[in-house]
Amino acid sequence: MSVSVEGSKASPAVAENSAIDVRKEDAPANAVSIATQKKEPPPEKPESIKLRSLVIFSFWAIILVLGVPIWWRTTTIYRANLPLDQMKDWAEGRACRPVFPLRISIEADSLQDHESQHLLRTTQHALDDLNDFSAHHLRLQISPPANGSVAVDGQSTGGEGEEVALIIRLLPGTETKADLQAYAPILDVYYTPNQVPSSSSSTSSLATYIANTLRDMFAEEQAMIAYLLSTSSSPPERIPKALAPEVAESLAKWTTRSIKYSRTYHLTFSLFTPTATPSSWEIEKALEDHMKPLLESFSPISNFTIDTQVQLYAQPGVSGAILKKQDLSAFINAAEWPLSPSIGGHPTINFLIYIGDMSVEGGGTSWLIPQWGGVIIQPDITDLRPAILTFSNQLMSLLGAPSSHSLPLRLNTLIRVRSAGLLLKASGTMGSLARLTVALPSISIPQSVADGVATTLFHLGKACDGLGGIEGLENARIAEEAAEKAFFEKSMVGQVYFPDEHKVAVYLPLLGPVGVPLVMGVVKEVKAWRKRRRGL
Amino acid sequence: MSNFSASRIRLSLTSYLNVAAHQTQQHQQPQCAQRDRDINLALAAMRLFLSLLSLAGVLFTPTSASSDYHEQLNLRPLHPSLLLASFNFQSNTSLASFEQQNFRYFPRSLGQILQHANTRELHLRFSLGRWDAESWGARPWGGAREGGTGVELWAWVEAESDEEADGRWLTLTNALSGLFCASLNFIDSTRTIRPVMSFEPVGDHSNTTISDLHLLHGTLPREVVCTENLTPFLKLLPCKGKAGISSLLDGHKLFDASWQSMSIDVQPICEAGSNNCQLQITQTIDMVLDIQRSKRPRDNPIPRPVAESELKCDTSKEYHSHDTCFPLDAAAQEEEWSLAHIFGHSLKGTCPLADESTDPVCIDVPHARHVYASEGAHEHKDESGYKRCFSLAPDKEFEMILPEQEISEKAPLEQPLLYAERSFIGYGQESGGVQAILTNPSLTDSVDFVYMETLPWFMKLYLHTLKAKINGLDEDIIKEMYYRPALDRKRGTQLEVRAIIPANSTVVLTYDFEKAILRYTEYPPDANRGFDVAPAVITIGNIAIRTTSLLLPLPTPDFSMPYNVIILTSTVMALSFGFIFNLLVRRFVALDEADQWDVRAVRLKALAALKRLASRFGKGVKVEKKE
Repeated sequence: MSVSVEGSKASPAVAENSAIDVRKEDAPANAVSIATQKKEPPPEKPESIKLRSLVIFSFWAIILVLGVPIWWRTTTIYRANLPLDQMKDWAEGRACRPVFPLRISIEADSLQDHESQHLLRTTQHALDDLNDFSAHHLRLQISPPANGSVAVDGQSTGGEGEEVALIIRLLPGTETKADLQAYAPILDVYYTPNQVPSSSSSTSSLATYIANTLRDMFAEEQAMIAYLLSTSSSPPERIPKALAPEVAESLAKWTTRSIKYSRTYHLTFSLFTPTATPSSWEIEKALEDHMKPLLESFSPISNFTIDTQVQLYAQPGVSGAILKKQDLSAFINAAEWPLSPSIGGHPTINFLIYIGDMSVEGGGTSWLIPQWGGVIIQPDITDLRPAILTFSNQLMSLLGAPSSHSLPLRLNTLIRVRSAGLLLKASGTMGSLARLTVALPSISIPQSVADGVATTLFHLGKACDGLGGIEGLENARIAEEAAEKAFFEKSMVGQVYFPDEHKVAVYLPLLGPVGVPLVMGVVKEVKAWRKRRRGL
Repeated sequence: MSNFSASRIRLSLTSYLNVAAHQTQQHQQPQCAQRDRDINLALAAMRLFLSLLSLAGVLFTPTSASSDYHEQLNLRPLHPSLLLASFNFQSNTSLASFEQQNFRYFPRSLGQILQHANTRELHLRFSLGRWDAESWGARPWGGAREGGTGVELWAWVEAESDEEADGRWLTLTNALSGLFCASLNFIDSTRTIRPVMSFEPVGDHSNTTISDLHLLHGTLPREVVCTENLTPFLKLLPCKGKAGISSLLDGHKLFDASWQSMSIDVQPICEAGSNNCQLQITQTIDMVLDIQRSKRPRDNPIPRPVAESELKCDTSKEYHSHDTCFPLDAAAQEEEWSLAHIFGHSLKGTCPLADESTDPVCIDVPHARHVYASEGAHEHKDESGYKRCFSLAPDKEFEMILPEQEISEKAPLEQPLLYAERSFIGYGQESGGVQAILTNPSLTDSVDFVYMETLPWFMKLYLHTLKAKINGLDEDIIKEMYYRPALDRKRGTQLEVRAIIPANSTVVLTYDFEKAILRYTEYPPDANRGFDVAPAVITIGNIAIRTTSLLLPLPTPDFSMPYNVIILTSTVMALSFGFIFNLLVRRFVALDEADQWDVRAVRLKALAALKRLASRFGKGVKVEKKE
């Protein structure tokens, strides 16, 4: 085997050399001898070796000292520093423990001081026994008598300046009953004289009664907050016991129904008729009489702008005198009816009256479209009051207010639930942003995102401290807005689609031909240097 | 009247009768009986109209303050075989209810945009085609409801500073862009100007607001106006194209027109000396339709040669025979047409909201021309002898038929104040010129006008080359000039020239410009088509005339170039680098002293290595087989 290799190696060498040396007109035998005895170049001078090494070294030095930093500086993506750990802490619920201490003030002018103190202790004890959800905590206090007159307006302040969620007025009566006032957060509890607790007994029927009433009143709110916590990524020990399936289902419906919180909502009231009549309606007066009072009571939470319109020759998306339940979603003829959202960046809630004789199967002529608005079908517009009242109910439920109890209590609950929701949502967004920045190292993070994150974290902190009040809601709203703005920063999205293939296509035509001689030069030089050393 | 024959009545009535019969078919009566009755009814109606011939028609007044909404369609036949249809919809709403956002006739979507952008007066135009002033006469509405080719928008925005006005203008253009499905959001600072002499507010503004009003004007000459702009336009109307004259509007017909213009004007109207203000919205659509083209059936729209038997030949010519024909002069021959022919279907009743004192349909034809209207409609003839209007029955379809008729009398054409045309002169890729020819046809009156140009920044105007020649002679007719030079990529050129044309003369305005070279990314798709230059606006009092837009070819690069450039530059750099590097690093020796690069040896080495590898692999396979 080796022989044949030698032979085949020798013969082409002969042929090649003969071809080269044809002009010399030497014999082929001479050619072989030339090939075997190759002339060595004279040995290199050490200066020239040194010079060559210096040349190569200086080329590489320029590339490494000047080229690489310039390339690095010009192609680097700006990534502002984000407080990733803090963001993750918020997302995982470690930074804030949402607690809603509800102050409930007891006014017991008819009782002796020590009697009321005792009643407070026993009731608090009974409440603590009943409550197993630590985030939502009812705290009782005796209201100072001087504040009794202020309490009527519903916004009285407790001893430490915190808002009082509810005032219990203990009144002597003939039977035990509780009466919630309709327009102020005041619960009148009537008791019979024999129920006044003696200081010796550790429990009393009145205390148990008050505790149970309070628990029932705040059960819905508790469930709402518990549901919000359970759907967020809070640590498991903070999530209360599993909610009953039917409660969880109704709360899931509640979240899909209620519209995103905003400081301002646009309300659009529209009259749609399939013919040319009626072409006008008395909507201004009806809204003034039946809608404005409700909207005014909402003013601490949200503001509203109102516009109205009349649209003739409007055909609904479905026809027939009886509308099936599955047809209701197609009733709004989105392609033709001008129900575009109002200008101005705030969500629009649509309420529309359709003039017609249709009804929904199983009775009823009105329905609610989740996160969008409400529809009423009625044959004429002689009386707008029932329609506006239905719209009011629909508005309450679209805004996410709980379904029972008096209006002030519902609004207060709404404030707490909304704050919790916004807080959890902003925290979740922070977590997503942190994960995104880690997962996509090639996207740029402009300074505005870092600023947004800082704003969010600052307001989240403030919101967490003041949960349950208007200020907490405001802070949570600012935090949520800043978080969304930071997450949806336009320049970040643009950078994601900058594929590596493009970089290769741009770099390779230059770096390939330049890099090869440079690398080969170094390799050769190193080889020569090793050879020289071995030779020495 | 003299050539009116019974056979012709029957011929032209059949199409109308079909419509009428179709309308009443729901009664399920024998169709023949129905037809006979309709003929009688139609003839009776016709006699009634003829007897009404001498009655005066009702003149349409565009600003009647009492009514809330009115609409009118005005038809005017143009020479030859064309029809100008002008639709006008106008509604007033009190300013108070507008500010409270209680919308009834005023569209909510547009109202909210105006409030959000603090716009006090708005004019929006969508136009297509060229108005042929030589044969069609003066423009409808005197050019006041017309825009340049593409989209034109001007508005008075209330703002305290120029920057605030710019911000609101941006809001306005973006919102309108969404509302009308047009690229209005591309009206940026390079396409926006603030006219100084050309536009005046139409509405009534109080003295306090007028000092804060900023006039901004933008054009999009490249925008193609189409059906998607008509649909939102119709949605703004109270009757939505379902009833009234708007039921005739159909995208297929409108955008098939030789010339068409849609306009929306919003302006406050105040009673003199009081605070009782109303907001008026006027929407108009004007189109010039080709009657013959409209009459072609939609399923078979290809024009075909006239059958031999239907040719109208001049038999007095001596060469007339069975295979030669000299066509008769058809100038006196009026073509037969009806609403259903022109618009595809007849008019669906009146809009119930419309003011009843305004007749919804008018037509400008001499009183001698026969016009048959369907039952229930009443004809009112005008004293001038060239206009008649119809009041319609509320819930019935309305059809109007003009039979074929030989009539020499024609409604007179109104002469335009000025004929204007503009074109490019010059040649080459680097520079060019523009020439505008303005002709005053009047024999007695001179015309005082303002000529306004909005040029894109890449068309660099040389103002010193601006020359005006009058009847071929250099003469100084420019009285006043406003010029705002362009800034590259920031704003375009604005040029306003006030001048006078004496009676019966022609003015030629010329100027030169240089074409800029754009950056690679600044070219639009299909850059080789050229760049549209907005029409010039010639304002004479409150009448505006627009020239056509121009198509400016710019030097255009080859767009597949950048990667080629990268490759080529890189190769050149790599070559020169390699050359220099090797010169510095390599050692130079004699040829016979150099290391020989023996290709065969390398190949054999590689082959041997491969064989070694193969044998090892083969062994591995054998081992596997054994196991």
